[in-house]
Amino acid sequence: MSATREALVVPLIFLTVTLVGGLHPGTPTLMTAPSEFALVLACLLVGVLVRSGGLAPERLLRSTRPPLENANGAVVLVTLFAASAQVLTVLTPDSGVPLLLFDAFLLVLLANTLITAPDRDRALRSLLVIFGSAFILKFAVLASLSSLDGGRMRKVLVALFDAATLGTVSQEQLPAGSGYLAFLAIALFMIGTAALPGVTRQTKEATELQPFTGRSTDV
Amino acid sequence: MRDSLIRGGGLLAVGAYAAFIGWLYQAQPRTFAQVRGGLAASVGAYHVDDQSFADGVRFFRRDQFPEARAAFARADSAERDPKTQFYIAYAYYRQGWGRFYNSDALFAPGLVAVNKAIALAPGGRLTVDDPDLQMHSADELKAELERGLTRDASDFNPLRVFRKRK
Repeated sequence: MSATREALVVPLIFLTVTLVGGLHPGTPTLMTAPSEFALVLACLLVGVLVRSGGLAPERLLRSTRPPLENANGAVVLVTLFAASAQVLTVLTPDSGVPLLLFDAFLLVLLANTLITAPDRDRALRSLLVIFGSAFILKFAVLASLSSLDGGRMRKVLVALFDAATLGTVSQEQLPAGSGYLAFLAIALFMIGTAALPGVTRQTKEATELQPFTGRSTDV
Repeated sequence: MRDSLIRGGGLLAVGAYAAFIGWLYQAQPRTFAQVRGGLAASVGAYHVDDQSFADGVRFFRRDQFPEARAAFARADSAERDPKTQFYIAYAYYRQGWGRFYNSDALFAPGLVAVNKAIALAPGGRLTVDDPDLQMHSADELKAELERGLTRDASDFNPLRVFRKRK
Protein backbone atom coordinates (compact mmCIF):
# COMPACT_ATOMS: atom_id res chain seq x y z
CA MET A 1 0.00 0.00 0.00
CA SER A 2 1.50 3.34 -1.01
CA ALA A 3 2.16 6.07 1.58
CA THR A 4 -0.30 8.44 -0.12
CA ARG A 5 -3.09 5.91 -0.06
CA GLU A 6 -2.47 4.90 3.56
CA ALA A 7 -1.83 8.35 5.00
CA LEU A 8 -4.22 10.47 2.96
CA VAL A 9 -6.64 8.82 0.54
CA VAL A 10 -8.19 6.09 2.68
CA PRO A 11 -8.52 8.09 5.96
CA LEU A 12 -9.96 11.09 4.10
CA ILE A 13 -12.49 8.88 2.34
CA PHE A 14 -13.58 7.33 5.64
CA LEU A 15 -13.75 10.71 7.38
CA THR A 16 -15.88 12.04 4.53
CA VAL A 17 -18.21 9.06 5.04
CA THR A 18 -18.41 9.98 8.74
CA LEU A 19 -19.22 13.58 7.81
CA VAL A 20 -21.71 12.89 5.00
CA GLY A 21 -23.38 10.05 6.89
CA GLY A 22 -23.95 12.20 9.96
CA LEU A 23 -25.38 15.19 8.10
CA HIS A 24 -29.08 15.96 8.53
CA PRO A 25 -29.55 19.21 6.61
CA GLY A 26 -32.67 21.20 7.36
CA THR A 27 -33.19 19.73 10.83
CA PRO A 28 -32.41 21.28 14.23
CA THR A 29 -29.67 18.68 14.74
CA LEU A 30 -27.24 19.04 11.86
CA MET A 31 -25.02 16.12 12.82
CA THR A 32 -26.16 12.86 14.36
CA ALA A 33 -23.71 10.57 16.12
CA PRO A 34 -23.87 6.79 15.53
CA SER A 35 -26.14 4.80 17.81
CA GLU A 36 -24.66 2.40 20.37
CA PHE A 37 -25.97 -0.60 18.44
CA ALA A 38 -24.25 0.72 15.31
CA LEU A 39 -20.95 0.52 17.20
CA VAL A 40 -21.58 -3.18 17.84
CA LEU A 41 -22.48 -3.72 14.18
CA ALA A 42 -19.35 -1.79 13.16
CA CYS A 43 -17.23 -4.23 15.19
CA LEU A 44 -18.83 -7.09 13.26
CA LEU A 45 -18.29 -5.29 9.96
CA VAL A 46 -14.59 -4.72 10.66
CA GLY A 47 -14.42 -8.36 11.76
CA VAL A 48 -15.93 -9.43 8.41
CA LEU A 49 -13.30 -7.40 6.55
CA VAL A 50 -10.45 -8.89 8.58
CA ARG A 51 -11.73 -12.44 8.37
CA SER A 52 -12.31 -12.25 4.62
CA GLY A 53 -8.82 -10.89 4.01
CA GLY A 54 -10.19 -7.56 2.79
CA LEU A 55 -8.25 -5.91 5.58
CA ALA A 56 -4.91 -7.13 6.88
CA PRO A 57 -4.32 -5.27 10.17
CA GLU A 58 -0.74 -6.57 10.29
CA ARG A 59 0.00 -4.52 7.18
CA LEU A 60 -1.10 -1.38 9.04
CA LEU A 61 0.18 -1.99 12.55
CA ARG A 62 3.15 -4.15 13.49
CA SER A 63 6.27 -3.81 15.63
CA THR A 64 8.67 -3.81 12.66
CA ARG A 65 7.13 -0.65 11.16
CA PRO A 66 8.40 2.82 12.11
CA PRO A 67 6.17 4.79 14.54
CA LEU A 68 4.98 7.22 11.85
CA GLU A 69 3.78 4.38 9.62
CA ASN A 70 2.11 2.71 12.59
CA ALA A 71 0.37 6.02 13.38
CA ASN A 72 -0.95 6.17 9.80
CA GLY A 73 -2.11 2.57 10.10
CA ALA A 74 -3.88 3.28 13.38
CA VAL A 75 -5.63 6.27 11.79
CA VAL A 76 -6.88 4.03 8.95
CA LEU A 77 -8.32 1.55 11.44
CA VAL A 78 -9.96 4.23 13.61
CA THR A 79 -11.49 6.05 10.64
CA LEU A 80 -12.69 2.74 9.17
CA PHE A 81 -14.48 1.95 12.43
CA ALA A 82 -16.04 5.44 12.62
CA ALA A 83 -17.19 5.28 8.99
CA SER A 84 -18.62 1.76 9.47
CA ALA A 85 -20.64 2.89 12.49
CA GLN A 86 -21.90 5.95 10.62
CA VAL A 87 -22.89 4.04 7.48
CA LEU A 88 -24.80 1.49 9.54
CA THR A 89 -26.57 4.31 11.42
CA VAL A 90 -27.55 5.97 8.14
CA LEU A 91 -29.09 2.73 6.90
CA THR A 92 -31.13 2.15 10.05
CA PRO A 93 -34.58 3.75 10.51
CA ASP A 94 -34.98 6.18 13.40
CA SER A 95 -37.75 4.56 15.43
CA GLY A 96 -40.45 1.94 15.86
CA VAL A 97 -40.63 -1.62 14.64
CA PRO A 98 -38.49 -0.93 11.51
CA LEU A 99 -35.58 0.09 13.76
CA LEU A 100 -35.80 -3.20 15.63
CA LEU A 101 -36.17 -5.26 12.44
CA PHE A 102 -33.33 -3.48 10.63
CA ASP A 103 -30.98 -3.90 13.57
CA ALA A 104 -31.81 -7.61 13.75
CA PHE A 105 -31.51 -7.92 9.96
CA LEU A 106 -28.07 -6.28 9.91
CA LEU A 107 -26.87 -8.23 12.95
CA VAL A 108 -27.86 -11.58 11.44
CA LEU A 109 -26.47 -10.78 8.00
CA LEU A 110 -23.13 -9.52 9.32
CA ALA A 111 -22.80 -12.40 11.79
CA ASN A 112 -23.61 -14.84 8.99
CA THR A 113 -21.02 -13.25 6.69
CA LEU A 114 -18.47 -13.34 9.53
CA ILE A 115 -19.03 -17.03 10.21
CA THR A 116 -19.01 -18.19 6.58
CA ALA A 117 -15.66 -16.37 6.12
CA PRO A 118 -15.93 -15.61 2.41
CA ASP A 119 -12.93 -14.40 0.43
CA ARG A 120 -12.33 -10.67 -0.08
CA ASP A 121 -14.30 -10.25 -3.32
CA ARG A 122 -17.31 -12.20 -2.06
CA ALA A 123 -17.28 -10.31 1.25
CA LEU A 124 -17.30 -6.96 -0.57
CA ARG A 125 -20.10 -8.14 -2.87
CA SER A 126 -22.05 -9.34 0.16
CA LEU A 127 -21.60 -5.97 1.89
CA LEU A 128 -22.79 -4.19 -1.24
CA VAL A 129 -25.94 -6.33 -1.30
CA ILE A 130 -26.58 -5.73 2.44
CA PHE A 131 -26.12 -1.97 2.12
CA GLY A 132 -28.06 -1.78 -1.15
CA SER A 133 -31.06 -3.66 0.17
CA ALA A 134 -31.09 -1.68 3.44
CA PHE A 135 -30.90 1.55 1.42
CA ILE A 136 -33.85 0.55 -0.77
CA LEU A 137 -35.91 -0.55 2.23
CA LYS A 138 -35.27 2.64 4.20
CA PHE A 139 -35.14 5.33 1.54
CA ALA A 140 -37.62 3.91 -0.98
CA VAL A 141 -40.09 1.60 0.76
CA LEU A 142 -40.30 3.04 4.30
CA ALA A 143 -39.97 6.63 3.09
CA SER A 144 -42.90 6.22 0.69
CA LEU A 145 -45.01 4.60 3.44
CA SER A 146 -44.34 7.60 5.70
CA SER A 147 -44.49 10.36 3.09
CA LEU A 148 -47.39 12.82 3.26
CA ASP A 149 -46.69 14.25 -0.19
CA GLY A 150 -49.21 13.52 -2.90
CA GLY A 151 -52.95 13.60 -3.33
CA ARG A 152 -55.77 13.21 -0.85
CA MET A 153 -56.21 9.51 -1.66
CA ARG A 154 -52.59 8.83 -0.87
CA LYS A 155 -52.87 10.71 2.44
CA VAL A 156 -55.94 8.64 3.36
CA LEU A 157 -54.11 5.39 2.53
CA VAL A 158 -51.06 6.45 4.56
CA ALA A 159 -53.32 7.40 7.49
CA LEU A 160 -55.13 4.03 7.24
CA PHE A 161 -51.83 2.16 7.13
CA ASP A 162 -50.62 4.17 10.12
CA ALA A 163 -53.79 3.32 12.06
CA ALA A 164 -53.62 -0.38 11.11
CA THR A 165 -50.03 -0.65 12.32
CA LEU A 166 -50.72 1.48 15.44
CA GLY A 167 -48.14 4.00 14.22
CA THR A 168 -45.30 1.56 14.78
CA VAL A 169 -44.11 1.43 11.16
CA SER A 170 -44.34 4.96 9.81
CA GLN A 171 -41.33 7.19 10.32
CA GLU A 172 -40.65 10.88 10.60
CA GLN A 173 -40.37 12.43 7.15
CA LEU A 174 -36.77 12.22 5.96
CA PRO A 175 -35.01 15.55 5.39
CA ALA A 176 -34.67 16.58 1.75
CA GLY A 177 -31.54 15.18 0.17
CA SER A 178 -30.91 12.60 2.89
CA GLY A 179 -31.24 9.75 0.40
CA TYR A 180 -28.57 11.27 -1.85
CA LEU A 181 -26.24 11.81 1.12
CA ALA A 182 -26.77 8.22 2.25
CA PHE A 183 -26.06 6.94 -1.27
CA LEU A 184 -22.86 9.01 -1.40
CA ALA A 185 -21.80 7.72 2.02
CA ILE A 186 -22.34 4.10 0.94
CA ALA A 187 -20.49 4.59 -2.36
CA LEU A 188 -17.53 6.26 -0.64
CA PHE A 189 -17.47 3.58 2.05
CA MET A 190 -17.31 0.81 -0.55
CA ILE A 191 -14.50 2.64 -2.40
CA GLY A 192 -12.59 3.08 0.86
CA THR A 193 -13.13 -0.57 1.79
CA ALA A 194 -11.90 -1.74 -1.60
CA ALA A 195 -8.77 0.42 -1.14
CA LEU A 196 -7.85 -1.16 2.21
CA PRO A 197 -4.68 -3.25 2.31
CA GLY A 198 -5.82 -6.87 2.08
CA VAL A 199 -4.11 -10.15 2.77
CA THR A 200 -1.50 -10.86 0.09
CA ARG A 201 -0.52 -14.33 -1.05
CA GLN A 202 2.84 -14.09 0.73
CA THR A 203 1.37 -13.08 4.10
CA LYS A 204 -1.29 -15.77 3.75
CA GLU A 205 1.26 -18.48 3.03
CA ALA A 206 3.47 -17.28 5.86
CA THR A 207 0.56 -17.39 8.29
CA GLU A 208 -0.47 -20.84 7.13
CA LEU A 209 3.06 -22.28 7.35
CA GLN A 210 3.90 -20.89 10.78
CA PRO A 211 2.15 -23.49 13.00
CA PHE A 212 3.53 -26.40 10.96
CA THR A 213 7.11 -25.13 11.31
CA GLY A 214 6.65 -24.71 15.06
CA ARG A 215 5.35 -28.24 15.56
CA SER A 216 8.12 -29.86 13.54
CA THR A 217 10.78 -28.06 15.61
CA ASP A 218 9.22 -29.38 18.83
CA VAL A 219 9.37 -32.96 17.53
CA MET B 1 12.18 11.25 2.98
CA ARG B 2 9.29 11.92 0.56
CA ASP B 3 7.27 9.11 2.15
CA SER B 4 7.83 10.57 5.62
CA LEU B 5 6.63 13.97 4.43
CA ILE B 6 3.50 12.45 2.92
CA ARG B 7 2.84 10.41 6.05
CA GLY B 8 3.43 13.37 8.39
CA GLY B 9 1.34 15.70 6.21
CA GLY B 10 -1.36 13.06 6.03
CA LEU B 11 -1.53 12.83 9.80
CA LEU B 12 -1.88 16.61 10.07
CA ALA B 13 -4.52 16.81 7.32
CA VAL B 14 -6.54 13.93 8.76
CA GLY B 15 -6.23 15.43 12.26
CA ALA B 16 -7.51 18.81 11.04
CA TYR B 17 -10.39 17.20 9.11
CA ALA B 18 -11.33 15.04 12.12
CA ALA B 19 -11.23 18.12 14.38
CA PHE B 20 -13.57 19.95 11.95
CA ILE B 21 -16.01 17.03 11.98
CA GLY B 22 -15.81 16.86 15.78
CA TRP B 23 -16.53 20.59 15.96
CA LEU B 24 -19.58 20.12 13.70
CA TYR B 25 -20.90 17.42 16.05
CA GLN B 26 -20.31 19.62 19.07
CA ALA B 27 -21.48 23.01 17.73
CA GLN B 28 -24.37 21.76 15.54
CA PRO B 29 -24.40 24.81 13.23
CA ARG B 30 -27.59 25.20 11.20
CA THR B 31 -26.40 27.43 8.38
CA PHE B 32 -23.25 27.83 6.34
CA ALA B 33 -22.91 31.33 7.85
CA GLN B 34 -22.65 29.67 11.26
CA VAL B 35 -20.04 27.22 9.96
CA ARG B 36 -18.00 30.09 8.49
CA GLY B 37 -18.43 32.21 11.62
CA GLY B 38 -17.52 29.33 13.91
CA LEU B 39 -14.34 28.63 11.95
CA ALA B 40 -13.47 32.34 11.90
CA ALA B 41 -14.12 32.60 15.64
CA SER B 42 -11.86 29.62 16.31
CA VAL B 43 -8.94 31.61 14.84
CA GLY B 44 -10.11 34.91 16.37
CA ALA B 45 -11.14 36.44 13.04
CA TYR B 46 -14.87 36.79 13.61
CA HIS B 47 -16.34 40.30 13.80
CA VAL B 48 -19.86 41.58 14.21
CA ASP B 49 -21.15 43.95 11.51
CA ASP B 50 -21.05 47.26 13.43
CA GLN B 51 -23.50 49.09 11.18
CA SER B 52 -26.17 46.38 11.50
CA PHE B 53 -25.58 46.22 15.26
CA ALA B 54 -26.08 50.00 15.56
CA ASP B 55 -29.29 49.67 13.50
CA GLY B 56 -30.44 46.92 15.84
CA VAL B 57 -29.84 49.04 18.95
CA ARG B 58 -31.69 51.97 17.36
CA PHE B 59 -34.72 49.81 16.54
CA PHE B 60 -34.55 48.25 19.99
CA ARG B 61 -34.74 51.65 21.71
CA ARG B 62 -37.75 52.59 19.57
CA ASP B 63 -39.52 49.36 20.67
CA GLN B 64 -39.40 48.02 17.10
CA PHE B 65 -38.41 44.57 18.27
CA PRO B 66 -38.87 42.38 15.13
CA GLU B 67 -36.86 44.95 13.16
CA ALA B 68 -34.23 45.01 15.91
CA ARG B 69 -33.92 41.21 15.88
CA ALA B 70 -33.56 41.20 12.10
CA ALA B 71 -30.75 43.76 12.31
CA PHE B 72 -29.03 41.90 15.16
CA ALA B 73 -29.30 38.63 13.25
CA ARG B 74 -27.66 40.32 10.27
CA ALA B 75 -24.94 41.76 12.50
CA ASP B 76 -24.14 38.39 14.08
CA SER B 77 -25.02 35.99 11.26
CA ALA B 78 -22.98 33.17 12.79
CA GLU B 79 -24.54 33.65 16.26
CA ARG B 80 -21.11 33.88 17.86
CA ASP B 81 -21.29 37.25 19.65
CA PRO B 82 -22.61 37.15 23.24
CA LYS B 83 -23.57 40.84 23.38
CA THR B 84 -25.68 40.64 20.21
CA GLN B 85 -27.34 37.46 21.44
CA PHE B 86 -28.09 39.25 24.72
CA TYR B 87 -29.83 42.05 22.83
CA ILE B 88 -31.81 39.53 20.78
CA ALA B 89 -32.96 37.85 23.99
CA TYR B 90 -33.82 41.24 25.48
CA ALA B 91 -35.85 42.12 22.39
CA TYR B 92 -37.84 38.89 22.81
CA TYR B 93 -38.35 39.73 26.49
CA ARG B 94 -39.59 43.26 25.92
CA GLN B 95 -41.88 42.25 23.06
CA GLY B 96 -43.26 39.25 24.95
CA TRP B 97 -43.79 41.06 28.25
CA GLY B 98 -47.39 41.87 29.12
CA ARG B 99 -49.09 43.47 32.06
CA PHE B 100 -51.60 40.61 32.33
CA TYR B 101 -49.61 37.75 30.82
CA ASN B 102 -46.33 37.10 29.03
CA SER B 103 -46.08 35.50 25.61
CA ASP B 104 -44.49 32.07 25.88
CA ALA B 105 -44.00 32.08 22.12
CA LEU B 106 -41.59 35.00 22.51
CA PHE B 107 -40.08 34.17 25.90
CA ALA B 108 -39.03 30.68 24.79
CA PRO B 109 -36.76 31.84 21.91
CA GLY B 110 -35.57 34.61 24.23
CA LEU B 111 -34.42 31.99 26.72
CA VAL B 112 -32.64 30.10 23.93
CA ALA B 113 -30.85 33.30 22.87
CA VAL B 114 -29.80 34.26 26.40
CA ASN B 115 -28.52 30.74 27.04
CA LYS B 116 -26.51 31.06 23.84
CA ALA B 117 -25.13 34.41 25.05
CA ILE B 118 -24.11 32.88 28.37
CA ALA B 119 -22.46 29.92 26.64
CA LEU B 120 -20.49 32.27 24.37
CA ALA B 121 -19.41 34.70 27.09
CA PRO B 122 -15.98 34.10 28.63
CA GLY B 123 -16.56 32.18 31.85
CA GLY B 124 -20.32 32.38 31.24
CA ARG B 125 -20.42 35.91 32.73
CA LEU B 126 -21.94 38.65 30.59
CA THR B 127 -22.77 42.23 31.55
CA VAL B 128 -23.86 44.95 29.13
CA ASP B 129 -23.41 48.60 30.13
CA ASP B 130 -26.38 50.15 28.39
CA PRO B 131 -28.25 52.82 30.41
CA ASP B 132 -31.44 52.06 28.44
CA LEU B 133 -31.59 48.56 29.92
CA GLN B 134 -32.77 47.75 33.41
CA MET B 135 -31.19 44.32 33.47
CA HIS B 136 -27.51 44.51 32.70
CA SER B 137 -26.46 40.92 33.20
CA ALA B 138 -27.42 37.82 31.24
CA ASP B 139 -28.18 36.03 34.50
CA GLU B 140 -30.90 38.57 35.42
CA LEU B 141 -32.41 38.37 31.95
CA LYS B 142 -32.36 34.58 32.02
CA ALA B 143 -34.06 34.49 35.42
CA GLU B 144 -36.71 36.95 34.23
CA LEU B 145 -37.42 34.90 31.10
CA GLU B 146 -37.59 31.67 33.12
CA ARG B 147 -39.96 33.31 35.62
CA GLY B 148 -42.14 34.37 32.70
CA LEU B 149 -42.31 30.83 31.40
CA THR B 150 -43.14 29.29 34.79
CA ARG B 151 -46.72 28.77 35.88
CA ASP B 152 -47.32 29.23 39.63
CA ALA B 153 -49.71 30.81 42.13
CA SER B 154 -48.13 34.25 41.77
CA ASP B 155 -49.52 34.39 38.21
CA PHE B 156 -52.97 34.96 39.76
CA ASN B 157 -51.88 37.81 42.01
CA PRO B 158 -53.93 40.87 40.93
CA LEU B 159 -51.07 43.16 41.98
CA ARG B 160 -49.14 41.84 38.99
CA VAL B 161 -50.78 44.48 36.82
CA PHE B 162 -48.71 47.13 38.62
CA ARG B 163 -45.34 45.60 37.82
CA LYS B 164 -43.15 47.30 35.27
CA ARG B 165 -41.34 46.04 32.23
CA LYS B 166 -37.60 45.99 32.78
